[in-house]
Amino acid sequence: MLSLLVFLPLAGTALVAVLPRRWEGRARWIALGASLGCLGIALALFAAYDRGGPQFQFVDRHVWLSSDVAPFSVQYALGVDGLSLPLLVLTAFLTVVAVLISWEIGPRPKEYFAWLLVLESSLLGVFSSLDLVLFFLFFELELLPMYFLISIWGTGRRIYSAWKYVFFTFFGSAFMLVGILALGLEAGTFDIRALQEMGPIRQAVLPAPAIFAFLIIGFGIKLPVVPLHTWLPDAHTDAPTAVSVMLAGVLLKMGGYGILRLCISLLPEVARDASLWLGAFAGATILYGALATLMQRDLKRLIAYSSVSHMGYVLLGASALGTVGLVGASMQMFTHGLITGLLFVMVGLVYERTHTRDIGELGGLAARLPYLTVVMVFAGLASLGLPSLAGFVSEATVFLGTFPRHQALAVMGVLGVLLAAAYILWMVQRVFWGEAAPRWQSLQEKVAWWERVPTLALMTVILLVGVYPSPLMDLFEGGIIPIVERLT
Amino acid sequence: MVGMEHAWVLPALPFGAFVLLMLAGRYLPRRGDLLAVGAMAASAVLFSFVLADLTDALAHGEFQGVFSGTDWLKFDTFHVRLGFYFDRLAAVMLAVVTYVGTLIFVYSMGYMKGDPRYGWFFAAMSLFAASMMTLVLADNLLLLYGAWEAVGFCSYLLIGFWHERRPAAEAAKKAFITTRIGDVGFLIGIVLLWREAGTFNLQEIFRFAQEGGYSTPYLTLAVLLLFAGAVGKSAQFPLHVWLPDAMEGPTPVSALIHAATMVVAGVYMVARTMPLFQEADPVALDVVTSLGLTTVVLSATIALVVRDVKRVIAYSTINSLGLMMVALGAGSVTAAMFYLFVHGFFKALLFLAAGNVLHATDRQTVDDLGGLARKMPLTAVAFGVGALAMAGLFPFAGFWAKDEILVAAREYHNQVAVAVLWVSVALAALYMGRLYTLVFTGQPRDRHVWEHAHEGPPIMVGPVLLLTLGAVVTGFLAFDQVGEALGLGGGIGQFVYLEEPHTFHMPWGEAIGSTLLVVASLGAAWAIWGGKGELAVQLGKRLQPLYLLLWNKYYMDDLYQWIVNRIVLAGGAVVAWFDRVVVNDTGVDGSAGLTALGGWLMRQLQTGKLPNYALAIATGAAVIGAVVLVSRM
Repeated sequence: MLSLLVFLPLAGTALVAVLPRRWEGRARWIALGASLGCLGIALALFAAYDRGGPQFQFVDRHVWLSSDVAPFSVQYALGVDGLSLPLLVLTAFLTVVAVLISWEIGPRPKEYFAWLLVLESSLLGVFSSLDLVLFFLFFELELLPMYFLISIWGTGRRIYSAWKYVFFTFFGSAFMLVGILALGLEAGTFDIRALQEMGPIRQAVLPAPAIFAFLIIGFGIKLPVVPLHTWLPDAHTDAPTAVSVMLAGVLLKMGGYGILRLCISLLPEVARDASLWLGAFAGATILYGALATLMQRDLKRLIAYSSVSHMGYVLLGASALGTVGLVGASMQMFTHGLITGLLFVMVGLVYERTHTRDIGELGGLAARLPYLTVVMVFAGLASLGLPSLAGFVSEATVFLGTFPRHQALAVMGVLGVLLAAAYILWMVQRVFWGEAAPRWQSLQEKVAWWERVPTLALMTVILLVGVYPSPLMDLFEGGIIPIVERLT
Repeated sequence: MVGMEHAWVLPALPFGAFVLLMLAGRYLPRRGDLLAVGAMAASAVLFSFVLADLTDALAHGEFQGVFSGTDWLKFDTFHVRLGFYFDRLAAVMLAVVTYVGTLIFVYSMGYMKGDPRYGWFFAAMSLFAASMMTLVLADNLLLLYGAWEAVGFCSYLLIGFWHERRPAAEAAKKAFITTRIGDVGFLIGIVLLWREAGTFNLQEIFRFAQEGGYSTPYLTLAVLLLFAGAVGKSAQFPLHVWLPDAMEGPTPVSALIHAATMVVAGVYMVARTMPLFQEADPVALDVVTSLGLTTVVLSATIALVVRDVKRVIAYSTINSLGLMMVALGAGSVTAAMFYLFVHGFFKALLFLAAGNVLHATDRQTVDDLGGLARKMPLTAVAFGVGALAMAGLFPFAGFWAKDEILVAAREYHNQVAVAVLWVSVALAALYMGRLYTLVFTGQPRDRHVWEHAHEGPPIMVGPVLLLTLGAVVTGFLAFDQVGEALGLGGGIGQFVYLEEPHTFHMPWGEAIGSTLLVVASLGAAWAIWGGKGELAVQLGKRLQPLYLLLWNKYYMDDLYQWIVNRIVLAGGAVVAWFDRVVVNDTGVDGSAGLTALGGWLMRQLQTGKLPNYALAIATGAAVIGAVVLVSRM
């Protein structure tokens, strides 16, 4: 079942690839079909997951490489627990959004949708791998489609941004690979479940703190953590809308997932020692990101920087190393995916109509674009943590979880929310309120179905999660408790 | 039979109206305004039944408060049950929200007629009312906080209702962000309380505190942080700056914000959590008192020079809110809630009557008004009653409530507070007298405007007259006989109290003293601003430094603007610059450049030309040879 989920998009890619040129326009229907299929499977897994059952379910396991000489084997092993399952659902959901939002993508739709589906496969693979080598392979596979998607269909300095993204990730991956190899060689297995059951690793080829640091660098770049974040504004800004959605919505979560799944879960003792450092970096990321956001003049770059700030909460919750904080961190990954995904969709829709993202040139759009205004304000309110919308649930849980351990840092987190109100409302005011400049007077708002459906769907989910988060929180908790047990 | 357990329906009604208006408003007749007004009126009717049930229970002496609720989140030690709690404190607040709210809704049908976003107005107002009722009924801090933020968000929508106008958009943003500064404290305070008690439920937290679960300094810090939220919401010094600007919203919004929702939420929250303030160090209540007093002085003095009609009323609200906080600081929930209750009526009255003036003249500074009593007699009478109630003249509602606060301060033995309150009584009469004199008496300053002024349509005059009645009679609730006749089991002192009920005794000292003072102040106002207002001009010249200080609102807005520009935005600019230039261009691109440079240098060595390699080999051999030779020697 899981293998089907992971490889369904690749099958879609294959189908798109063999599509004759003259049917190029139909690629999007194949992409939509494949991504909807994935969403269906993901939701079915979500419903079928037994919350009282074993930690990892739907496991698919085969020995892949083994030799009598080497002291270890590599397996093809997939499985999900409470931590990864919601992220799979998020990935599948946002891919559908991404496909719809690129319905009328410019040149070469065939290649575009093919790469988008490869991206989905790699992401689903990352979140469901139970073997470190497989995890790493999927982690790296994502680079390929991202490079092409940004550099071919992007805007602005797209080649620079695409390269920067690839280099940053490679740089992090190098460290990560060392960490993974050190872990695996010491333990004699790359099986995540086996590694979890082994008990803490104290001394391997490398000292445990070094392994931890290597892994953190790798995931910290992805998350991102200040000062390793500078690839993010460029990549987000220059990527096409749907890719920004995937990037902010799902790819960043690979970092948070890695930190929870590998750093904290496999090296709990080091994590305890490093708790304050992680928290300090998280606090810095929140405030630094928020202050930088305040001064952005490009609408998309503004959302990108706000993303940096919000991902700081993931690390903050994780640094608390308690159930509440870790559930908050994983919840924040999910809600940030929805909210920032929606914000990027909206920036894209506004840009398609105005052909500028310069906040100084925009203004008074509310009169011309009422639907887009409503959705953007909704997304903005969710982003600034208005209760009853998803963002509040996760951020409040992070504060509650962090407070007992790092009080000052939790307060910094709350201040970040204050700054979020400032930059979001200021942006809304400059872009939507006020008198419309003459050049926007003739703007017509025609909202196509492929724009309306994903925005409405995202808004619905954001509201549902905000009003009744319990089903999701329960599931995350099921994934977090084994991690916390190893911490104590 | 409808009973207290149905209290949750109260917010559900306007919330349902909001949802329906949002989904199908454009298909409804009249954009669905009747639905919104109907839902609000139904809330008011339902509340009357709930109240009847409450009085019934009181008569049997068995009443504690009624819960209803559901689990929201449950994991590990983190268990949140959201629910409603209906008691007498909530009843007082709900009376204001539902009764006054309904009148404001009805009035809006006239005032907002013809607005392009007429339907949206009623949707947002319904959400506003629903959020406020949820806030009132919340049995736990988390739901309270949620509703609290929702109230703030609705005020953002409604203050910025005419968002094409830059001042309106600015004011909306200012209101939201300023109150959110307080909310940061509020949220941290909630976390502090939760951390020790392990629950968000208010009654459980009270019990925990009374059993000594919190250490005193810890609890003091927590309640002060809670109070920070109230400072923002209830426009107390130093976060009061948003409220006068909020006048950019439509007038019914101002009425709703000032009388029934939003600003009184802070007072209500402090009243609700008063058991915690009582357990904390006395310094907590002293802080409440001192900020309240500062607010009173600040607002009452600024109100003397403001020329915008609505802004004068806004400062009068800040003044009233300060008084309520002083009452709470003296530990008197009764006096604070009594004032809050009657204030709801006369403040809504003042705003709606002022709205009639605005509607008729399209002007809102006193420089363009004057002599309107002859054109709008009903409105003039209504506004006069509201002004006298605000000034606290016998027998209007404000008189009784204000005297209760004076008594509370005296009994608390706070001499400073008593002195300041007496000054405030004089100032309130002075600026309300000034406002009435400038708007309704004397010669019109703008003849053209005056000639076109006329009384509003019945739908706007009707609610104003009902509120006028309210501004006269609600004060009599102080008397036990009145309360008993209504089935409340006694006057307000028997109905809402913290520790023990208290019976109203006419405080003759305060009553006579304050009446004389108010009459004198009103006379002074007439003397200064009446007729051509020459004395006012002279005073302004004579006391110019003072006048400028007040005119510039003690320069607090300028100070805050300076902080925002020079500290927050400058900080943002520094970070943004640092991020681009230092981290990215130097750090990242720089290291990339360095790598590229290294690559380029290395490439120079590998030219692919045989002679170069030969030369390099020869040189290398020679150097090695030389080194070997030298080392041998």
